[in-house]
Amino acid sequence: MSRQELLSPEGLRIDGRRANELRRTVCKQSVLGKADGSAYYEQGNTKVLAAVYGPREPRIKSAASFDRATIRVEFNVAPFSTSERRKRNRGDKRILEIASAIKQTFEAAIISTVFPRSQIDIYLHLLQDDGGNAQACINATTLALIDAGIPMTDYICACSAGFIDETPVLDLNQVEEASFETPDLTIAIMPRSGKVTLLQMESRLQVDRLEDTMALASEGCKQIHTIMDEVVRENTQDLVTKYGD
Amino acid sequence: MVREVEPSLNEKTFLLQALHQGLRLDGRSPVERRELEAEVNPQDLGVVTVRLGQTKVTASVSCEIVRPFPDRPTEGLLVIASEFGTMASPAFDGQRSDEEVFIARHVDKTLRRSRCIDLEGLCIVAGEKVWSIRVDLHFLDHDGSLLDAACFAAISALTHFRRPDVSVIGEEVTVHSIEERNPVPLGIHHYPICITFAFFELREATLNNTSGGEGGSGGAATAADPTAEVIQQLCVVDPTLLEEQACKGRMSVSINSHHEICAISKAGGMPLDHDLIIECSKHALKMARPLITKAKSFATSATAKKATK
Amino acid sequence: MVKQQVVLPGEVVPMPDASQAKLLRLGPGLLQTDKDIHAVQAGLVTNNPVGNAWWISNSKKRYIPAAGEPVVGTVTGRSAEYYRIDIGSAYPAQLPVLAFEGATKRNRPNLAIGTVVYGYLASASRGMEPEMSCVNAKTGEADGYGELKGGFITKCSISLCQRLLDPRTPILALLAARLPLDVAIGLNGRVWVASKTIRGTILAGNAITNSEFLSPKQCETMVDQLCTTMKL
Repeated sequence: MSRQELLSPEGLRIDGRRANELRRTVCKQSVLGKADGSAYYEQGNTKVLAAVYGPREPRIKSAASFDRATIRVEFNVAPFSTSERRKRNRGDKRILEIASAIKQTFEAAIISTVFPRSQIDIYLHLLQDDGGNAQACINATTLALIDAGIPMTDYICACSAGFIDETPVLDLNQVEEASFETPDLTIAIMPRSGKVTLLQMESRLQVDRLEDTMALASEGCKQIHTIMDEVVRENTQDLVTKYGD
Repeated sequence: MVREVEPSLNEKTFLLQALHQGLRLDGRSPVERRELEAEVNPQDLGVVTVRLGQTKVTASVSCEIVRPFPDRPTEGLLVIASEFGTMASPAFDGQRSDEEVFIARHVDKTLRRSRCIDLEGLCIVAGEKVWSIRVDLHFLDHDGSLLDAACFAAISALTHFRRPDVSVIGEEVTVHSIEERNPVPLGIHHYPICITFAFFELREATLNNTSGGEGGSGGAATAADPTAEVIQQLCVVDPTLLEEQACKGRMSVSINSHHEICAISKAGGMPLDHDLIIECSKHALKMARPLITKAKSFATSATAKKATK
Repeated sequence: MVKQQVVLPGEVVPMPDASQAKLLRLGPGLLQTDKDIHAVQAGLVTNNPVGNAWWISNSKKRYIPAAGEPVVGTVTGRSAEYYRIDIGSAYPAQLPVLAFEGATKRNRPNLAIGTVVYGYLASASRGMEPEMSCVNAKTGEADGYGELKGGFITKCSISLCQRLLDPRTPILALLAARLPLDVAIGLNGRVWVASKTIRGTILAGNAITNSEFLSPKQCETMVDQLCTTMKL
């Protein structure tokens, strides 16, 4: 494994960013016609498309819950998303894990007791993979759910952070993630309260460094929240103006 | 598809009321772990059965010679396979449930991603032959904290395991049987231990619902009403099955003796404050220490038994 | 009282009063073939001289519904006419919405899903779902059946529940002497306990589960130990 210098002595990373810089973020809503809600999200070179259907009739009646809506998440990684074309196995645990993590994260935010015995389906498609898949998926899902008008108590914004050469770094790209020595921490917060809904960490990190890394990732989440909020307000304002006349 | 029945409202409410008073149903305090017992058979190197209360998990380690990955020619492989059967619980019925994926991935991160085994030491002939170490986890009985039991079983089994000795002369590779030469232990960099926490939310109405409430409508309001006031957030260590079913969120922290966190998994559930998470990880370190010592002791137990053979 | 005899499946069980032409009632675990009576389960041959009932008692956990037995169940669903109750058997039981004391079409109890109820099985034929009731059909009174509020449920083996109903089993008397206790024993392997304090309920639940294989003397020691640990 080639040991590239992930953080140069001047403090620049391999894509030219500083340690606490976020990658370029692009958000779009209502990109699909058929879905009740959809969104397109870009974080640097990672691109995700999210579609939300629901609340609708559950496919398996027995799986329906009597007092709340069940949430189903399907996460697909496109074979052309990585530099080498590779078809992913459907039962790939990594993919299932991200889908399951997203499902459980949003179960906490969606007010599902309003739609008992129904199902909300979230479909995610990873179009280009440059690290930060989980965070991009969560952000895309938030935008799609807002677009679908599904009631939520707050946004859920996610960001990743790591630790390279004694410095916490924000928003890891794929090269940084793939390095075994770099701890990879993904955190999802509800921006208004600042509380953590999702926390996943891989590789080794000193206990006393956890606080700083988490704080940096939360900062990143807040920055992403500002960007997302702007886009949502703009779109909503747009709609309101169109309805107005 | 067999359905696991959810615990009744009475049980969930009672659990929360007891927790409010700092009591758990088996008499433990909220920060106490259950007694962890591990059984080893000296004849079977690398097989450890762990009992954590009623939870029972077996880990067995085996090895074989394979080709290495082309981009990592000098490294051996570590494969972790988990078997979830209906034996452990009616909920594991063959369909990949969230619980199974969560456990399998967390064990993978704890052991493989954190590089606890010396993989370079498993190389025989660079680019051609390396050892592939396989850890099979069998979940036999589910009474909560499957992850804690599984991680401990896995790392103990890896410590206990001995692989056949190999000698390489030029191009020729000879694998020595156990009778010829003593088998060799695996190189272990560090010992990760997993501690699971469960979080509960206490609402005003739950506390008042001891025996009153008109019919069942009072009960429905306490369980599902998200607007009832939350007065307390509680945390317990090493939850039992009932506590896991009644909790609002879970977090598993894997930590080793070098004060390093190897993995954290908290998927959804109750939103937590940063401080609570930091506190939990510090607490996990304290709880992990005696377990790490116990896991390390498996190395000597294997050699001791070999001496008497 | 017949000497305690352990039998295995397939063994012929000799009946002491077989010669006399008395009516023998065979319960679970015994099967009549032509003129012999075989055991089909492993366990102790037990009999109740009243009604000359014979059966095999063993320590199994899964409940097979039988009419007339009291059960503790959880509400899992509701339709217009019935509540669906989980009693731990192969089929959920059906509890008619009006089978409660004082229930009429206008005034009926509204049970939430997850509520615990104590009732008895009015009918349990093989091909149908067992039917439960929380009211005495003849008198119209509850007789202690109905919704159970608060408390906690412990799961134990069927035979322990049967023994708990027998006044000769010491554990309940021992507990009652130490703390105020409400108990509902279901023959489906579930016992509901409630005491005034949470500590009391935890103590009672644990004591009942522990007492299964202890002698009366050991029961006393165990209850004493638990009381000291729980500071009661």
